[in-house]
Amino acid sequence: MMDTKIQAFFADKQDLLSEILERYPDYGQRSAVMPLLRAVQDAERHVSELRIKEIADILGISATAVKGVMSFYSTYHEQPVGKYHIQICSTLSCSLAGSDEMYDYLANELDLVNGETDKDGQFSLQKVECLGSCTTAPVLQINDDYYENVGKKRCKHLVDSMRENKLEKPWRERKGDHEGAEKAKPLQKTALKGVS
Amino acid sequence: MKVKVNGIELELAPGTSAIDAVFAAGSDVPYFCSHEYMSPVGSCRMCLAKIGAPRKDRATGNWVLDEETGEPQIFWFPNPMATCTTAIMEGMVIETEAEEAVKAQRGMVEMTLINHPLDCPICDKGGACELQDRAYEYGEGISRFEFDKRHQEKHHQLSELITLDRERCIHCKRCIRFFEEVPGDEVLDFIERGGHTYIATVEEGLESNFTGNITDLCPVGALLDRTSRFKGRNWEYEHTITSSLDDASGSAIVLDSRTGRLERIKAELNTQVNKLWIDDSTRFGYEYVNSSERIKTPLIRKGDNLEAASWQEVSEFIADKLAKLAQKEAAIVLRADSTLEEGYAAKNLAKILETGQIDHYPRQLASVIPNNSASLNDLASSDAIFVIGDVSQNVPIVDLRIKDALKGVAPPEMFEHGVPIADLRLKERMIRKKEILTVAAPYNVDLMRHAGQAHIYEANSEEAIFKALTKIANGEDSSVAAMSNEQAEALVKRLNEANNAIIIYDGFSLASPAAAIAARNFANAVGAKEIILGQMANSYGLEAIQVLPSHERYGYAEIMQGSAKALIISELNPANNSQYAQNLKELELLVVHSIFENETTALADVVLPAKSGYEKQGTIVNLEGRLLEVNAAPIDAGQAQDFEFLAASIIAALGKEGKEDLASLAHKAIRKQFGVDSKKLDPEGDLKPLKPRANNKAKLHIQSTNIGNALIVPTMLRLEYIDKNPHLLAERGAAKLTMNSIDADANGLKNAEIVSLDVAGIKRSFSVQIKDSVPAGLWLIPALPEQAIGLLELDRASLKKELEPA
Ligand code: SF4
Ligand code: FES
Ligand code: FES
Repeated sequence: MMDTKIQAFFADKQDLLSEILERYPDYGQRSAVMPLLRAVQDAERHVSELRIKEIADILGISATAVKGVMSFYSTYHEQPVGKYHIQICSTLSCSLAGSDEMYDYLANELDLVNGETDKDGQFSLQKVECLGSCTTAPVLQINDDYYENVGKKRCKHLVDSMRENKLEKPWRERKGDHEGAEKAKPLQKTALKGVS
Repeated sequence: MKVKVNGIELELAPGTSAIDAVFAAGSDVPYFCSHEYMSPVGSCRMCLAKIGAPRKDRATGNWVLDEETGEPQIFWFPNPMATCTTAIMEGMVIETEAEEAVKAQRGMVEMTLINHPLDCPICDKGGACELQDRAYEYGEGISRFEFDKRHQEKHHQLSELITLDRERCIHCKRCIRFFEEVPGDEVLDFIERGGHTYIATVEEGLESNFTGNITDLCPVGALLDRTSRFKGRNWEYEHTITSSLDDASGSAIVLDSRTGRLERIKAELNTQVNKLWIDDSTRFGYEYVNSSERIKTPLIRKGDNLEAASWQEVSEFIADKLAKLAQKEAAIVLRADSTLEEGYAAKNLAKILETGQIDHYPRQLASVIPNNSASLNDLASSDAIFVIGDVSQNVPIVDLRIKDALKGVAPPEMFEHGVPIADLRLKERMIRKKEILTVAAPYNVDLMRHAGQAHIYEANSEEAIFKALTKIANGEDSSVAAMSNEQAEALVKRLNEANNAIIIYDGFSLASPAAAIAARNFANAVGAKEIILGQMANSYGLEAIQVLPSHERYGYAEIMQGSAKALIISELNPANNSQYAQNLKELELLVVHSIFENETTALADVVLPAKSGYEKQGTIVNLEGRLLEVNAAPIDAGQAQDFEFLAASIIAALGKEGKEDLASLAHKAIRKQFGVDSKKLDPEGDLKPLKPRANNKAKLHIQSTNIGNALIVPTMLRLEYIDKNPHLLAERGAAKLTMNSIDADANGLKNAEIVSLDVAGIKRSFSVQIKDSVPAGLWLIPALPEQAIGLLELDRASLKKELEPA
């Protein structure tokens, strides 16, 4: 049963919605599923079943199709993630460089296992696949930032700083941590005209 | 285009896939994800081959030549290629037996088996499993994978009809693609990714009319039909290929039977009709034939009881009674899915009994034979379709073939090895040309989701709509109910300008002869072909051979109202109607040919056990005018017989046997009428469209009802059997009484509430379904075989809420 008390996410965000939908040609409206999911995830720290259904209805596709896309990405969540969403790369390079030990350490320290969020909503712990930064293994991603070449000491330090709600910024020396690619500018509508 | 496969030179059409080139050369390559009639996606990587092609010099445009041989040099692709997604090129060389190819194939088998459980001995697919076969043929027989296999849910019930074993899934994506590409109901998808990927739906159940097809196309035992699960092994089954009598498409099916029981129905290929697909009613609606409640011997009335007797005894009894009747006093009624042979037998019996009181039912007033008939393959290549009525419930396969047309990809050319394995014209999520489809109906029908234009009109305005459209086609001004002038003009223009326009209509239009004539006139005016959806499997055929009353005053309704003194009726239950039951009691002789006991057998003097559509041998004519073979599976039905046997026994008991038996008379009559040998029909049927008879004038005197507060609507489910089809019943629930929330509120009804209602004499029970897309004031009632589609006046005061079971 739909809970009618919860307002539709995009109900008061019609500008955002039409801005997103306008990026795609008529026949390709379903491609908007990614930015729509992202908008919800950013605002609510998870995408609930209700929101999945809402997005499906907006795009005229089935909720299953939305869930299919959403579940493909480890960046979307069914349950709200904590304030600090710690993602440990556990693919080969990071694994060889010690990410398994790092996971054990964090699991112990935070009393969480993979995929869990603590009851205060402070921390979430999640193993993820390659973050594309193998040269700086092992890599931790906390919310949207990369922390690279993370050793034991630094890991402990990061945990402490998060406990105090003072997560430090990523390091910049040795071309170390960076903030990922420059923030992508939203595509200009005019730039897309020729595409459809 | 010239290609060379394993040393064999071939000439193939451009656009052919490399995998079809391989099969065309008589070679083989293993494959899991490709599937006839679906897009090739290259996801299983099983169909690998070594592929190369010559290259042209950019500057000169000449072939780059091999220095030694002087022939064009072959440039090999650096890796083995998936043949299913590779289109052939001029001079392409494909090697499936090259060392690299063989090694790659072996590697893929090993890879695919890493997470696949080796539970073949308890798997229902065992013995008919593509993975099992391919692993034998192309695998190494060993695995280097020493770790635990992935563990996932073994019994995930996707619906009451289908179970998914997630461990067995090899992620070929056939099932997902099927739903999106064929019926356009995206109800399944991959969830998660990589090694965690599994198949799931987040909708409740699988909302589609075609779900069962995924159990056929799953290359492994991951998706299984719950009606047959854990019953027989594949090698124990007798496979009988036949045409389904479930609806007017005559879809090809395989009956899998064992120890006298029918245990599974699968789709069979008919490239002209159903391709490889069948709807869920056709597939899962068979369980009733195994019911222990079947009548297995002839029964004869002794006082209040019916007692078992032999066919001979009862035939003599019947003959005795009939001999005492005068001309025209006996009546014969067949159900509209009886075979042509049964139809001829009924006619011969009627002739001997000197009566014109013969009919088949359900049948509408107007003819189901179109003037200018379109085939289903015509439909699939149509560029303008106008549907008035409910295709999806009447004949679900027509719904699928319309969806083929929306893709704009004509039916493929056949290879010697059959349907192309990888038709490169098909893509995932193709853009559908919705604009070519206009759907109009008196309520919201499923096909409207796929239509460019959808119109809900007031029930019974079919005649007015066709007439108004015809006027527009003739350049006159007119306005069409439920359409704006622009829409109506655009529709007419589109049909007019199309190369292959098709108009589809059903019982709603046939309920009124005037509407049917208006439909035909409109089709003529815009130069469109027609498809008419008959209510049952052989509606077309029985009309074509005139299993019809000599005068309309002796039709089914009149017979039930007492026009005859004796009645022989096959597979219908008119006594479910209390008014008819009264009249049937007055008969001097009532012979009921039936599979189950019902209100009518309770009144019968003689009850004869009938064969189901899976036990008969004969011929039907589908809605295209295609003669199709019906074959009998070895099912234990006791002394059940078809109507031909019944007629023959009575004729014999009357001592009126002619020189030839009924079977050879029917054989001759079919040849005379249709020009084909019914014993040598093409496996895909012989298309012999007829013209409707012009002598239907008499029917025009009969006024159809044009008022009413309820509409008998088509349903793909066979409601007369649904109680004995437990899986289908569990999935689909009881018959629905559908109405607008205004009506529901006015009657204090809630969704899913069980009610009973007198539907023009027939007491029926329903589960209430509230849908605001239904026009207020109109109640929708799914049809029974005894009630043809159309408008009727309902006594709403007869509505009663059934007590909730405690
Ligand atoms: S369930 Fe069967 S058809 Fe579907 S992806 Fe898995 S193996 Fe393929
Ligand atoms: S393996 Fe960790 S970033 Fe690539
Ligand atoms: S990749 Fe699956 S059949 Fe070609």
